[in-house]
Amino acid sequence: MNTHAPQTPPNRTDGALEGITVIELCGARGHFMGKLMGDMGARVIKIEPMGGVSERQIGPFIDDEPHPDRSLFFWSHNTSKESLEINIETSEGQRVINLLATTADVILEDFAPGYLPSLGLGYRDLSKHNERLVMTSLTAFGQDGPYKDYKSPDIVALAMGGIMHSCGYDDLPGSPPIRPSGDHGNKIASHYGLIGTLAALFNRDFSGRGQYIDASAHEACNSTTEHALPTYLYNGATVFRQTGRHHAAAPTAKTLCKTSDGKYLIVFQLFNNLYSWRALVGWMADAGMAEDLEEEKYKDMARGGSRGMRMATDTTDLDHAMEVVRRFIAAHTSDEIYRGAQNLKFPWGQVRSPEENLDDPHFSEDRQMFSEISHPELGDGVSFKYVGRPYRFTESPWDAFRPPLVGEHTRSILIEDLGYSTSDLETLISKNVIS
Amino acid sequence: MSKAKPAARTSALEGVRVIDFSWIVAGPQCTRILADFGADVIKIENDANMDYIRASNPVPGSDSPNRSPLFNTLNRNKRSLTLNVMHPQGMELLKTLIKKSDVIVENFSSRVLEKWGLGYEEQKKLNPKIIYCSMSGFGHSGRDRDFVTWGPTAQALSGLTYMSGLPGEESAGWGFSYMDHTGGFYGALAIMMALINRNKTGKGQHLDLSQVEAGIGLTGTSVLDYTVNKRPFRREGMPPGNRAPDQKIAPHNTYPCKGEDRWCVIAVTNDDEWESLLDVLGNPAWSSDPRFSTMESRLINQDDLDEFISQWTINLTPLEVFDILQKAGVPAGAVQTPMERSEIDPQLKHRGFIAEVEHAELGNTKVESIPMKMSETPWQLNRASPLFGEHSAEIYMDLLGLDPEELGTLYEEGIA
Repeated sequence: MNTHAPQTPPNRTDGALEGITVIELCGARGHFMGKLMGDMGARVIKIEPMGGVSERQIGPFIDDEPHPDRSLFFWSHNTSKESLEINIETSEGQRVINLLATTADVILEDFAPGYLPSLGLGYRDLSKHNERLVMTSLTAFGQDGPYKDYKSPDIVALAMGGIMHSCGYDDLPGSPPIRPSGDHGNKIASHYGLIGTLAALFNRDFSGRGQYIDASAHEACNSTTEHALPTYLYNGATVFRQTGRHHAAAPTAKTLCKTSDGKYLIVFQLFNNLYSWRALVGWMADAGMAEDLEEEKYKDMARGGSRGMRMATDTTDLDHAMEVVRRFIAAHTSDEIYRGAQNLKFPWGQVRSPEENLDDPHFSEDRQMFSEISHPELGDGVSFKYVGRPYRFTESPWDAFRPPLVGEHTRSILIEDLGYSTSDLETLISKNVIS
Repeated sequence: MSKAKPAARTSALEGVRVIDFSWIVAGPQCTRILADFGADVIKIENDANMDYIRASNPVPGSDSPNRSPLFNTLNRNKRSLTLNVMHPQGMELLKTLIKKSDVIVENFSSRVLEKWGLGYEEQKKLNPKIIYCSMSGFGHSGRDRDFVTWGPTAQALSGLTYMSGLPGEESAGWGFSYMDHTGGFYGALAIMMALINRNKTGKGQHLDLSQVEAGIGLTGTSVLDYTVNKRPFRREGMPPGNRAPDQKIAPHNTYPCKGEDRWCVIAVTNDDEWESLLDVLGNPAWSSDPRFSTMESRLINQDDLDEFISQWTINLTPLEVFDILQKAGVPAGAVQTPMERSEIDPQLKHRGFIAEVEHAELGNTKVESIPMKMSETPWQLNRASPLFGEHSAEIYMDLLGLDPEELGTLYEEGIA
């Protein structure tokens, strides 16, 4: 148990989820749910096994020194939480969870089906004295069904969910489907788990009752593949993966374009409308690079807009126009094309590496998308820039505080919230319930 | 909204009315979630501004705007109202509707509602409890607020496209508009948080969402590696393909299977799973090589390791690998095709994932469910996506109190 004074969460009164207490028993699949709730003002108590959750062992680490309190992977998914380090496989540990559940609003958990009920910590147990309790179980495949006991780390969720089938290359022979990195199978699962949790909280304000939510990563990923299922179910066609762009049942033009500084842009919707097309060709003509694109037939294509473009059966002109534009782009820097094209209302985007947004003043300055978070445990005045709020509420703002050290709040929660005495704590330590 | 009696509640968002100006994918994904939970989502379009997705891959048969598979999937459970807000009387009708609603959602570029004279301040005058969710590309403030995004743009800018691919190759990126889905999730999350908050405070607010920012929010670990360790994600050897360098585990990859372009994934996260994998493989001679004796050594020698594993997977189908390994406790998966997901996957069948609903033009249609089961207020599939203007008459008459004659005039003057 951490014996230093724990970080006290900032005293907020304006968070959208202010007043809601969440008990989080989550690993990699579900921890983003708790973070999103904590950042909006909920009080999130993360229950960790002795030594901390295993995500604390995932890198990168500060200065590449592996340590449970130095994992940046853990940090990015666990801001705005308190940590209670306790062995829930002991009766004393189970008692603590039961006590917390009596007054909690939400339990978030992502264990295998049946595990918590086997400890007397299922929804039926925990809601016995709290009919307002909302409990969300976010599993790999759901609480029932033939796959319920199967394991599903992120890459399995993305494979079984059909997402990888749509991601990869069409111009690298023999290359595999690609798992987009960044734990997105788990994030999709967390987003849906939280969506259900919030719906239940809203409902509770009127019904007075909580409920149990059985959510699965498998279904969450399967419902997040845009055209893939509808195209099969309605048109009987199967989409395939294409480099850097949408899956499709028939090949589409490549959208990745290389710039003079060796970076890439996503370039599409050339013929979105006549106004934009004229402006683009004018821009290219000024640089002496419009070639034959000022011809009337291209204006006709632009007049038809995207719909007209899709109707075109002969793609020769489209392909040619794209090649001319590609040559123009190759002669300019990524910044020149991105800003120039956006000013003409083309939705083209630079293919940025995540850290490059720190240098974009729209996000870093005007929108304050990155948030400085203090880490006094690493020294006076130490703070780091985190990715900030994913939405801007005018009345109940996002605000995050540092992820907890392992067991940072064990003592304060047991004593202040549950009324344990110091000698009770010593007994728990002697029985290896807490450390 | 009116407080329903507890016993009468069957849907989580019962009693919430949503004015839905959203279109394409991101906004409709957001309002689909609200509609699936029982909110009354009124989708507003008109002849000049039809949801573009109505024209996406239509099922052949007619030129009708009601035949798009993706549109049907994204807009089930909603009602369709045709209303021309450019007409003064149309605007008046919209204002009346705002007074009777809880939420307004739009995913236009950032100045459209202001140009209509319907920015948040105006909405608030009409209805102080209104929750206004704008889902633009760059947000409603800042120097680039007039820039525009589609899903692929937001994925590219936020870093997600770059993070997906094989090292040394171009970006594989996302094969679909992931940030339209996810942008929609964030819209729904924000709206429900604001609704919960409004239950306490009685006040509405403006939720200013940016599709790029929602994407940036998913890159937290990489950004921290840069701000803490000064290590950019753009560096040699990145992105990591299908491997897991941060977790330091191997094998963790895709493996070729029997069949054309068929693949499975295997991710061994600890020594127990490794032993189980070797048992399944029949403890081949190579497995006793010291190069593979520990997780660390397997990680160093994973090129060779992957080659050996491929020699086993290539004789099996992806689903065979999945079944055999999962039964032995080894995390593995098939890269499932749309056919496998909708016709074979016994788990999805057991869970009723593909739901069926009657569509007036397309007949019996299939849509994916909202991916969760709720014990008290399960989602309901009450109707297929609305035909263009299908609910105009009932909304104008029942909700806005027009009589049939007035409604006729609206149609004649091109307002409805």
